[in-house]
Amino acid sequence: MLTIQNLHKAYQTHTVLDQVSLELPQGQVLAVLGRSGCGKTTLLKALAGLLTLDAGSINWAGESMDAVPSREREMVYLFQEPLLFPHLSVFENLAYGLRVRKEAEAQVQQKVVQMLQELELQEHAQKKPSHLSGGQRQRVAFGRAIIFLPRVLLLDEPFASLDAQSRASMQRLFLRLARKYNITALFVTHEVKEALLVGDRFAYMAAGKLQVYTSKDAFIADPQTGVRDELAFWSALEQQTTYQP
Amino acid sequence: MLRRILTAILITAILLPFLFFGVLSVGQAWFYPSILPQRFTLSNWQELLVGQSELQLSLLLSLLLGMGVAILATLAGFVISKEIARAKYKNRWLLLAYWPFVLSPVVLAILVQRFFLLTGMSGEVIGVLLGQFILAFPFAVIFFQSFWTYEILQMEQQSQTLGASAVYTLQQVLLPLAKPLLLICFFQTFLISWFEYGLTQFIGLGKIKTLTILVFKYVNEANIFHAALASLLLMLPPALLLWLNKKFVFRGI
Repeated sequence: MLTIQNLHKAYQTHTVLDQVSLELPQGQVLAVLGRSGCGKTTLLKALAGLLTLDAGSINWAGESMDAVPSREREMVYLFQEPLLFPHLSVFENLAYGLRVRKEAEAQVQQKVVQMLQELELQEHAQKKPSHLSGGQRQRVAFGRAIIFLPRVLLLDEPFASLDAQSRASMQRLFLRLARKYNITALFVTHEVKEALLVGDRFAYMAAGKLQVYTSKDAFIADPQTGVRDELAFWSALEQQTTYQP
Repeated sequence: MLRRILTAILITAILLPFLFFGVLSVGQAWFYPSILPQRFTLSNWQELLVGQSELQLSLLLSLLLGMGVAILATLAGFVISKEIARAKYKNRWLLLAYWPFVLSPVVLAILVQRFFLLTGMSGEVIGVLLGQFILAFPFAVIFFQSFWTYEILQMEQQSQTLGASAVYTLQQVLLPLAKPLLLICFFQTFLISWFEYGLTQFIGLGKIKTLTILVFKYVNEANIFHAALASLLLMLPPALLLWLNKKFVFRGI
């Protein structure tokens, strides 16, 4: 269980995280919806240990993560851009986390080959990232992050730069692998549909404050999330299309 | 056709000084209006290769200073440039790095002369090395700013969250990515040291005779055969580095 209590972060007089608290059971995905500049990235970077907090605590399975450096937290932050290592092949990019952990070569080979199959990238194993499409690069970045089964995956609008088709494909892939590997994740997005699709639990972030909902219905019912407006828009559009002569 | 002519002119322009100094370096007794020297001898070259001549010592000294300055400036520039790229007031620090070039090396030498006198480093190899480093280091800092982009810094953070230590990230990610730039910076800073005259003369008090200093000395003495040999030696390493640059560093770019 990931437990966050009263996280606070401010830059001079501007508060970016304001008493943020949440609990996330293992194997669940928390979809965090919010507009640009609401503090979502700061929250994820703080969890990954890439930012120092002014106050608050982060615990995993009862163990405090506050003093644990980012490389030992096992909480992988996935940037909006894939950030693959350009000098390494797809195979070596996927193997990176395993090599860092000094896993035996046979294990590395077996896990990477399996991950390549999961990502449907077998024929691209020896290619450099520059020879892949945007969607393929994002798949490699995702595979590289989950291959060593981290405690928590922190996804910062990971599919935002993809076209609609690749995005839908990535969402399906994420859901399939999240279930298969029992991934605990915070999935930040500004897209209502994506949040509803990937989340087991739901939260809304605005001006540094995080509102966690007890259910999907409660998330949809809250007018500030904008879910109802979006549903109403699509419903109206559907009716228009149906009754057109 | 035009391209071939231009290439031929370019190659001639590069090779002609080598040929000219090469002929002069093996010459002896050259009097007006003869086109070529009266006699040819390898004694100047023997002097360089055998025994401890002034020319041989200054060649070794120049190589030592060039390598020392290039290694120190490249390593320090790489590290400090990263800190500047991450700093809050990045532009202020960068402005400071431009300072030696705005002042000009000789004016800089006059300004720092007192420091070198007080520390007893004037007229010493270490003093000249430090003086040349004052020029090469800011160059390296400015040079590496193009490497430390936001994307590279994010990549470093990505490596950290994947579990890599700072050393592992440096070895497996940053150094392989920076390798071409590290080599170019090494070559450039070596050349800064190799051709440096004003600051070397001022801090070295004329006692530290690098190859560049020696060329000027021979020219002043009207010792054209030694001056030609020293000039030839002065031109060889940059030519070699340019060739290596073209062959290995820019390969695939």
